[in-house]
Amino acid sequence: MTTTALEHELKELIIETLELEDVTADDIDPQEPLFVEGLGLDSIDALELGLALQKRYGITLESDAESSRQHFANLKSLAALVEARRVK
Amino acid sequence: MPYRLDQRPWRQRPAEDAFAWQPPSPGQPAATITVATWQRRIGAWQQHLDSLANPDRTWLLFEPDPIEFSAAMVAIWERGDQLVLPADNQPATLASLAASGVALGSLGSQPAPGSGTSPTWGTAPLPSVAVSLYTSGSTGDPQRLDKRFDQLDAELEAQVRLWPLEQRRVISQVSHQHIYGLLFAILRPLCESSPFATQSCRYPETLYAWLEQCREDECGVALISAPPALSRLPEALSWVAVREAVTRIHSSGAPLSRNASDAVFDSFATPVHEVYGSSETGGIAWRTQQQGDAWTPFPAVEVDTDAEQRLWLRSPHLAERASWQRQADRIETIGSGFHLLGRADRIVKIGGKRLSLTAMDQALGALPSVERALTLPLARRELRLAAVVQLAPEALPHDHASHRAMVKHLRQALGARFETPVLPRYWRFVASWPTNTQGKLDVDIRQRLFQDLDDRRAPRWLGEQPTATGWCVSLEVPEHCLYLDGHFDSQPVLPGVTLVHWAMQQASRLFALPGGFGGLERLRFPLPLLPGDRFTLTLALRDDGERATLHVQCDSPRGQHASGRLPLRREVTDVDG
Repeated sequence: MTTTALEHELKELIIETLELEDVTADDIDPQEPLFVEGLGLDSIDALELGLALQKRYGITLESDAESSRQHFANLKSLAALVEARRVK
Repeated sequence: MPYRLDQRPWRQRPAEDAFAWQPPSPGQPAATITVATWQRRIGAWQQHLDSLANPDRTWLLFEPDPIEFSAAMVAIWERGDQLVLPADNQPATLASLAASGVALGSLGSQPAPGSGTSPTWGTAPLPSVAVSLYTSGSTGDPQRLDKRFDQLDAELEAQVRLWPLEQRRVISQVSHQHIYGLLFAILRPLCESSPFATQSCRYPETLYAWLEQCREDECGVALISAPPALSRLPEALSWVAVREAVTRIHSSGAPLSRNASDAVFDSFATPVHEVYGSSETGGIAWRTQQQGDAWTPFPAVEVDTDAEQRLWLRSPHLAERASWQRQADRIETIGSGFHLLGRADRIVKIGGKRLSLTAMDQALGALPSVERALTLPLARRELRLAAVVQLAPEALPHDHASHRAMVKHLRQALGARFETPVLPRYWRFVASWPTNTQGKLDVDIRQRLFQDLDDRRAPRWLGEQPTATGWCVSLEVPEHCLYLDGHFDSQPVLPGVTLVHWAMQQASRLFALPGGFGGLERLRFPLPLLPGDRFTLTLALRDDGERATLHVQCDSPRGQHASGRLPLRREVTDVDG
């Protein structure tokens, strides 16, 4: 499977922001869930990741939890969110 | 009859009495140091202290040599001055104490050896505080504690009632800068007229040689030890052959595992008498595990508990001997003794959620293949928990994939009981419990275990063991180490030069290196290390006086990654330093 440049950038962002000390970019499967199963991220990670996306790409997320959850489902959906809404 | 400290045994003991035993060393047979010889060292220290300006009359003493240490201690007491014992000689410790007194011993200046002179006994009363010690910092920042002579004498009296030394030679494997070593390895032999060894005994091979000599001399030995040493007695040495010499064994600083206690008993046919206490409380209770794991309070110590299972103490070893005082440890009384249940105050907030670290430790410790676990919050990472986990040897992860699999497995197992945000995020898997010489996983070791989080150039340190010729350090290559070649390539590797750099860094911490890096000799890197690889660095220092060389070998379950020698370039030391 090919990883786009944006996906790779997002992997690095996740690892750096959340300080996942033993995770490498190769460990993150773009289709696999980021939260609970898969990478095992949690509610605090979601908050931190939201902040990082805002800072790096100028993205603001909906206050509605359900749509945020969909964007954060996996790396592919996260990349789609960034593509669609980035302002920097 | 043993002396009390306030009777000043250093003045009373007969001059020809054996004060200390100098163990044999290559080219030098064993010898006896008499009280008269030691008193001349007191005299030398008295002259030396007289020559130093110290208007505050407070002295900081850090001195590993027990003869010099005890002579300096008595010289300070005889002046009625204040004695402070720093817990270690780490730069940070010394910096924090620098303003509080004049440094002596290996920290400062000391009288030249051989320039001994008869001591002078004046009329100055003993100081009201005998000694100020520092706590280990395993439960917070180190705290200063003052001990009066009556507190120390009460402890010594309790110990002599239970375990009189009766002329045994005292061999110590612990530091006398801490209360346990000070009482058992220095003050007891001084007051009970038993000789102590003139050096502390760090390595099992040395212990073996000394015990052989004691057995030949038909002289009993009291071994003052701690869990790190007692749980790592190599089976390759035939302890049974020297067991006759060992007639008493003590351990303190942390509970000894039942396995280690049994193994020592099998080797020496003498039970380990463990002492439970702290710098604050002094000795509280003792046990020998072959009689059960409950603790028996010391004769004059009263123990009680409350609805929260907290330990309450009334003890002549405490600063206030008449009142009951509540402790942080929890106990369960049984007969006249008690079981230890762990500390009560390990409640933290992780990501806004209250968590009992004790409960998390117990849950982790109960999982298959986990032998021991400690969870802890890290400074500057309050949102997340870290864990130090001792695993059974076959379960230890050896590379990136097995490390990730183990973390996932443990987090899933804990997820049944705890919410995801409080699960540990930073994991350090160790083969044996990393401690200082007092048996504590203290502040320094905590920092070393997690140093790579703040320093992307550091390896992940996972413990170390002394070997016959040096040290064997367990490390991992952090996945995000800055030195990794081709971070974005499919197969980054650790450059050989980084391994050399790490070897030098570890060696300069572990050895007194006679010089800095001076080149490479016969260095081979047959197999590159990958991110996440766990490996050992075996380091040995060979120094024949002319040429000093660091021998380095790097291995992992995949094979040998490096071997060779690093010649050290001698430096002209800065005389002012």
